[in-house]
Amino acid sequence: MQDAWSDVLVTSFRDMVERLAHVAPRLLAMVVVILIGWAAAAIVRRLTVRVFRMADLDARCARWGLTASLSRSGIGQPPSQVIGQLVFWTIFFVAILTSVEALEMPATAGMAAGVVRFLPNLVIAILVWMVGWLLANFMAQTVLIAAVNAQVALAPLIAGAVRWLVLVFAGAAALTQLGIAREMVLLTFGIAFAGTVLALALAFGLGGKELAREILESRIRKREGDNDHLTHV
Amino acid sequence: MAEQADAAQLLRGDDLRAIDALPSADVLVGVCALNQARSAAQVVEAAAAGLATALADWKGAVVVVEAGYRSETLDAVKSWMTARALPVPVCCVRISGPPRRSRAILGAMAIARRLGSAACVLVNAGLTSLTPEGLACLARPVLAETADCVGPAYTHTVAEGTLTTNLLAPMCRALYGRRVQQILGGCAALCQRAAARLLESEAWEGDLTEHAVEIGLVVEALTSGDRVAEAHLGRKVLDTGLTAPDLATTLAQTVGPMFRLMDKHRAVWSEIAESTAVPRIGEPSSILPEAGDVPVDRMVRAFKLGLKDLVQVWEQALQEDTLAALYPLGLASPEEFEFSADHWARVVFDFAVAHHEQRLPRDLLLRALTPLYLGRVAAFLRDMHGQSPARIPVALEAVGRAFEVEKTGLVARWR
Repeated sequence: MQDAWSDVLVTSFRDMVERLAHVAPRLLAMVVVILIGWAAAAIVRRLTVRVFRMADLDARCARWGLTASLSRSGIGQPPSQVIGQLVFWTIFFVAILTSVEALEMPATAGMAAGVVRFLPNLVIAILVWMVGWLLANFMAQTVLIAAVNAQVALAPLIAGAVRWLVLVFAGAAALTQLGIAREMVLLTFGIAFAGTVLALALAFGLGGKELAREILESRIRKREGDNDHLTHV
Repeated sequence: MAEQADAAQLLRGDDLRAIDALPSADVLVGVCALNQARSAAQVVEAAAAGLATALADWKGAVVVVEAGYRSETLDAVKSWMTARALPVPVCCVRISGPPRRSRAILGAMAIARRLGSAACVLVNAGLTSLTPEGLACLARPVLAETADCVGPAYTHTVAEGTLTTNLLAPMCRALYGRRVQQILGGCAALCQRAAARLLESEAWEGDLTEHAVEIGLVVEALTSGDRVAEAHLGRKVLDTGLTAPDLATTLAQTVGPMFRLMDKHRAVWSEIAESTAVPRIGEPSSILPEAGDVPVDRMVRAFKLGLKDLVQVWEQALQEDTLAALYPLGLASPEEFEFSADHWARVVFDFAVAHHEQRLPRDLLLRALTPLYLGRVAAFLRDMHGQSPARIPVALEAVGRAFEVEKTGLVARWR
């Protein structure tokens, strides 16, 4: 009985050691890949930040209103740092996937290659979204200032509507690029866009009488103002 | 800027031949037009009469320089010419390229250089108040070599030229140390050397908007040590042509060039601490009490709307204390609305710094100044309402002084 018990223990221990001996190099390879990935990501992040700083990206983004938008979204870092972080996490994420493949588990086979194939679309989608976001902020600010100068009382509402319209459009374009439920996105966007236009038309006609009156009044006031005795230049 | 320096680059072949066919002229009057058919002939008539009578001792010529796409202005002047015996040579040319008044001004200076004129008088084709005597007042000091650049000074009411009296002139005074009354007077006379320098200048590189060259002309004269004088020309009547731009565009077109020139002339203006008066030719100009209704309530309403909705934009341009001092104005009624000159000067210089640092797209930043400007004008006009004419120059002097005082902070913050 005692011999049988010790045989089982020894066999189990031997199996475990054999399995460990089999898995340890893969684990080690995984750790090494993660470490190399982390180091490479950190170096590329530093290089990216330096290149974008040399290109004066932070000042340019401040000029285009992107920095203000970032800070309004709770991102206090300058754009060059944000891009650096994005680059870091992208490389690190790919490194983690590659390291998981090193374990040679059937469930993770080909996962890294699949993700890498998907990356270009993801990058383009992110770019589309960022450009849309930039454009939305710029257009909203332009509309806001123009509407306030035209003395339209609901200027922030109009500017907000313009911002969301551009953001929704950019979001739909980004999702289409990713190939996520392409038909559904297009259909949803079409319905939402048409619905918004219809809702605005109805709101302006029924509920927005005051706004319409105000816009017309401000135009008439402006025309009357041309005849007053004030000249600026 | 070499392109602008040469008339051959600016004019079409037949226009250039017409210019070359003109006899040499000591004084060239360039009537600069941008679709101003309604008034151009009247201005040409006054200029030609001035050259033929008050400036008869010098050889003169008038060139109408149209920068717009429409042909009505030149047609109107040509039809006026056919009906008369002209006392001096008159020529009409069109400037090629985009329709900008600034291009017409540069074109007139380039033509004066081609003709070797000792004096170049630039006149806006809408300046219908120009008289033959007025033209002579502008040109004589340049021809007599007692001044290099002569601008106009006008008699006006408090409600006329509020952008000039409350922003452009006091800012010019604080920055460049000369108390010029008119930055955008609609006319000026330049000596040959000053015109040549302006043609070669890169001050308005890439900026040939409505008023860029006119403002650059004054600033370049002040910063280069030219002898600057002002001639009193009475009341100013300016027909702006087909369409007058809205106020926000006017602000962007006038304050924008002033701010841009600050970048170029930082070394000059940061060293200037005081201002001196500019010599005046002719009778002293005066400021008349307001005549007619001025919509102060509407301007206060525009300011309050800006304060409600544009704070997020203003936050990026104004310093915290400047912005904080604006909030109480949002609660004031039009009758008790006060926007002091020193506060206004701080606002303008904060915007200048924001413009320099490009914290926002520049055009948007300048347009966001509109409600603040209207607030200041409302307070100024309310303050001037019912005041005696003697009190008005005192108030304008206070505005100029406020800009001079606030300039210290501007110099410290400008990097």
